[in-house]
Amino acid sequence: MKKIIPVLLLFPILTLLSLTDVFNNNSKSIAGQQPVREVLTALGDPLPDHYISDLPVKASVEIGEKIVFVGTTEAVSLQSPHFVCTSCHNTEKEFADLRDTAPEKRLAYAVKNDLPFLPASPLYGVVNRTTWYNGDYEKKYGELVVPARNDLREAIQLCAVECSQGRRLKNWELESVLGYLWTLELKMEDLALPASDYPKFENPNKENAAALIADLKSYYPQGSPAHFVTPPEDRREGYGLTGNAENGAELFNQSCLHCHENQRYSFFELDNSTMTKKFLKKHFPKYSRYSIYQVSRYGAPSHPGKRAYMPQFTSEKMSDQQVEDLRAYLEK
Amino acid sequence: MKIIYTLFFTCCFLFGYSQNPNTRDLVYRTFKDTRVINTQSVETLPARKLDIRISHRFGDLFGSNGGWDTFYGLENATDVLIGADYGITNNLTIGLNRTKGSGPLTRLVNTNLKYKILSQGLSEGSPVTFTVLVGSSISTSKKIDDIALLTSFPKTAHRFMYNFQMMIGRKFSDRFSLQITPGFVHRNLVTAADENGLFSLGVAFRLQVTKVLGIITDVTVPFSSLRTTENGYQIPLGIGLEIDTGGHVFQINLTNATSLAPADYLPNTRSNWADGQFRMGFTISRLFNL
Repeated sequence: MKKIIPVLLLFPILTLLSLTDVFNNNSKSIAGQQPVREVLTALGDPLPDHYISDLPVKASVEIGEKIVFVGTTEAVSLQSPHFVCTSCHNTEKEFADLRDTAPEKRLAYAVKNDLPFLPASPLYGVVNRTTWYNGDYEKKYGELVVPARNDLREAIQLCAVECSQGRRLKNWELESVLGYLWTLELKMEDLALPASDYPKFENPNKENAAALIADLKSYYPQGSPAHFVTPPEDRREGYGLTGNAENGAELFNQSCLHCHENQRYSFFELDNSTMTKKFLKKHFPKYSRYSIYQVSRYGAPSHPGKRAYMPQFTSEKMSDQQVEDLRAYLEK
Repeated sequence: MKIIYTLFFTCCFLFGYSQNPNTRDLVYRTFKDTRVINTQSVETLPARKLDIRISHRFGDLFGSNGGWDTFYGLENATDVLIGADYGITNNLTIGLNRTKGSGPLTRLVNTNLKYKILSQGLSEGSPVTFTVLVGSSISTSKKIDDIALLTSFPKTAHRFMYNFQMMIGRKFSDRFSLQITPGFVHRNLVTAADENGLFSLGVAFRLQVTKVLGIITDVTVPFSSLRTTENGYQIPLGIGLEIDTGGHVFQINLTNATSLAPADYLPNTRSNWADGQFRMGFTISRLFNL
């Protein structure tokens, strides 16, 4: 009898709960974990072309995740023998406030959350963007960026072939990657929007829907501005800024060592030894491929037979001040 | 034979004792290359990396066969190697190369299988890196119809030679690494006065001078009552400079060993440093991602 009483009590409690909004999927109240895309759709914003409701046969989120992190599935060969997506892209949010994307803020957030400081934009929230390969990437990839600028699938394929120097993804691999990227879409709590403001997005009407959509989209970038910049004219003089060695140390650890430590993605090994620092310090003001002025702003080229290369940092991803910070650290 | 069994069971024990590299921080690059000069190093190739290798040993720098007449040995080649190694996993490397050879058996096709059993830990774990290598060499020389010569090859098996090496290395600091290399060479066919099996012990070190430049040295002592200086044999000793430019290791060295394959230079080194019978050599190693 003692065992039956709790069961009998559970039944009316569940009935009462079902009458409330707790289990009601049609609730309009917005929670922090709710995807931004869902809120936009409810406001009447059309779904983007890269939205996927069902994955095709063979494709899965798990396969997509494996391609992003490992570059392969059991079924096919490596997408690229040189890089994986996470060589250059984080899969986590990179800013506390997505509206303020200054490289200094990015470094502070990376240090606080132990994230690499990378040359490419994060995959987190990439499906929420409307444009890709923005700005000066046209200078690097020419007309190849035209189809990729407004089409995430084409952007992924351009990244697969040109950026990672690998092969095009098969359709089911591409859809798998896209499926995984949708698991990294922005949530309401990722925006610097107080939860107390959520209710204004809950009951839109025809008059204010467009304004609400624009308002919500203003909390995160729709693209990723990219400006290619050059090394200083006089490399001995540098950019004429005073470097901060402490920030430089953080950059060296979170950025340079991400690819170069233990030759993770590069043939050129870097570490925290005195020999390495001396070497980089010596080459910093030189016109050589070992100069950080050179490689941070121009990257390192890909050659036939040695296709692994280093992408440059745009001014949005590493500021001139940060390059000087690196120099200050190495010259300390 | 007891020693072979001991080595075999030691390896079996260490295989069983081997660690999971994902769970520990391991020391990286005890040596910069998979070879020191004449000996193999503890290093294996990372998975999916192809290493194209070209090595060269010139003629005697000085002495009766060197000097100006041969432009200090540069007009002669005592041995040339061309081949490739491939990393199947981070700990398992296979290799295939061809050497000209300078011992009694020449035109050698060499294969090797190298497995890193233990990796030195950064703060805890193994104090050393331990790697074993099993190699074979087959002479592709033309069969000579003279029973007095080794190249008469009465049986096909007589073309074969084998070598087994255990490399035990430790990186003491960013600048200094040391390795000892017990080894064994077996040649299927030798002259009546010679012995088929030959044990040896090698010592090698690397002294990193700058980020790209290192000094490397190795010496291997064969344990044999026949291989004495009185009988005209010398201990193979090499000294070299190693230049690592990132993906491309260039090595230039001086050594009295005339050949490159272990089964060739270990039993057959007769050149004497003191007589100027050492030569310049180089190795170009180029890594490719596959």
